[in-house]
Amino acid sequence: MTDKHRQIERDAALWLARRDAGGWADRQQTALDAWLAEDAAHRVAFLRLEAAWQESARLQAFAAGDVAGRIPARGEWARSPYFAPSLGSNRAATTRGRHATLRKRRRWPIFAGIAASLLVAAALAGGFVWRDYTHVDRAAWETAMGARKVVHLPDGSTATLGSETDLHMAFSRGERDLELTRGEAFFDVAHDTARPFVVHANGYRVTAVGTRFDVRREAGQLRVVVTRGLVRLQSARDPAKPPSMLPAGSIATVADGDVAISQVTADEATEALSWRSGFVVFHRTPLADAVREFNRYNARQIVIADSSLDALRVGGNFKLDNSDAFVRLMQAVFPVHAQLQDGKIVLTRKPQAHTAH
Amino acid sequence: MPYDYDEAAPRFPHVFGRRPACRGLRYLRDMGSPVDDWFVREVLAHEQALMRFLHRNWRDHDEVPDLRQEIYARVYEAATRRVPDSPKSFLFATARNLLVDRVRHQRIVPITAVGDIEQLHVMQDELEPGRWLGGREALARLARALDRLPDRCREVVWLRRVEDLPQKEIARRLGISEKTVEKHIAKGSRMLADYFHGGSDAGAAHNPARGVRAWMRKST
Repeated sequence: MTDKHRQIERDAALWLARRDAGGWADRQQTALDAWLAEDAAHRVAFLRLEAAWQESARLQAFAAGDVAGRIPARGEWARSPYFAPSLGSNRAATTRGRHATLRKRRRWPIFAGIAASLLVAAALAGGFVWRDYTHVDRAAWETAMGARKVVHLPDGSTATLGSETDLHMAFSRGERDLELTRGEAFFDVAHDTARPFVVHANGYRVTAVGTRFDVRREAGQLRVVVTRGLVRLQSARDPAKPPSMLPAGSIATVADGDVAISQVTADEATEALSWRSGFVVFHRTPLADAVREFNRYNARQIVIADSSLDALRVGGNFKLDNSDAFVRLMQAVFPVHAQLQDGKIVLTRKPQAHTAH
Repeated sequence: MPYDYDEAAPRFPHVFGRRPACRGLRYLRDMGSPVDDWFVREVLAHEQALMRFLHRNWRDHDEVPDLRQEIYARVYEAATRRVPDSPKSFLFATARNLLVDRVRHQRIVPITAVGDIEQLHVMQDELEPGRWLGGREALARLARALDRLPDRCREVVWLRRVEDLPQKEIARRLGISEKTVEKHIAKGSRMLADYFHGGSDAGAAHNPARGVRAWMRKST
């Protein structure tokens, strides 16, 4: 038996490493494509290595907030809050890691109590010293209904605010904190492993490390769409809940404390964010959801008076600020009747007998 | 023999600038084609179960990574023609067929073995729907995988993947050549892939051969 595949894997790894080195020219990509096309064995070997290599970016979650350039010792992960106690070691932790402190408390309540007090005292003292020479950059922005606004943050990140959105910023040396109290915002985060980028919304912390993602609040719900990099979604109210790691292409929806994550293609994720260019894209979207989308952007609200219309499926690209065109189209293709009542567009089902004539 | 990640014999093809060899239309896909995505999502997700199956049913464990890649290549080729409805069953059916083929090609195949081979069975846990790991689980596995890399390799992978430093900068910082950084990345990617896809016991020796596996030994 040959070692054919072992050699192929070595070659695939070298391709991956060369491409990873940067300065990758079209010519090299063409050569790689050719190599991949030569044999399905080449392609599967490369795909397999590439998938794991891409996944390994998740490890950035451990580094968030840590000092850049410091490589953790082996097994140090165990002290991170990502690991369940059973996975971790019982080594007493240093001041690093709240999780470890909690675990210790269960064992030696008294010592832990003292330790905790010392920690609090140290934190307070440190805090006062810290405040002397640290500076917190604060700012807030808001948008009116139908408006969009691009905000350049002091760290080089940008935030794109959607309709009726309030965003508050508090950037310090240690953390880039933002709070989304209303609406929706898309973030293109400047890479800075030493300062986590955290968006607080609906009782959740959405943490990013060099990433593009969108956070949206709506009627008690929270939606996070990740188009690049990796985002950590964690309940702020219940820190014991395991965080959800969202790689690019994730759409996470939080309702009543439950997190549902769907994986879509990068294109689909980007499509969900087409509001940034003033458009909305529907694919077999229930009419009720489509209407809600328009209502986010238009003062003239659309009301579905007949709930049997809710489930009609709508597709197409629409300009967000032109709900009239949307309504006209609905009337043309569906048994829908629209009329203006008290400044609202009310949709009802067209009587069958009427359409027959 | 432990799995060898080092480049014992660098045989990297000098194909930069070579014209693409367009052999068969079905491979003229770009990276990120639907079949590629399908393969990563639906097939690689079962690697741990596949490795268990191969280790249990093939006596020479050294050959298991080679078998695995052969199975992947067959599955991928089949999928470019038609994507199987049930990726997991298809993967294991392909695995079974490959093992049977290999046994039949051995010089001496005892009659009793053939009957048994037909029954090479897939364990229940291997048939359960597989799935991508949850984020937390994947993270734990990656952390363990990283910890299994040799020191220098681990350092390079950390600086590259976590701190996002360019290879050039890593070389400067560690005082090694860019070529060496590249080698560490290549080796690291292979080890990470084995641990990440195959689980923590990937490549490790399993139970000694039993039953039909006893017949499936290497003819050396």
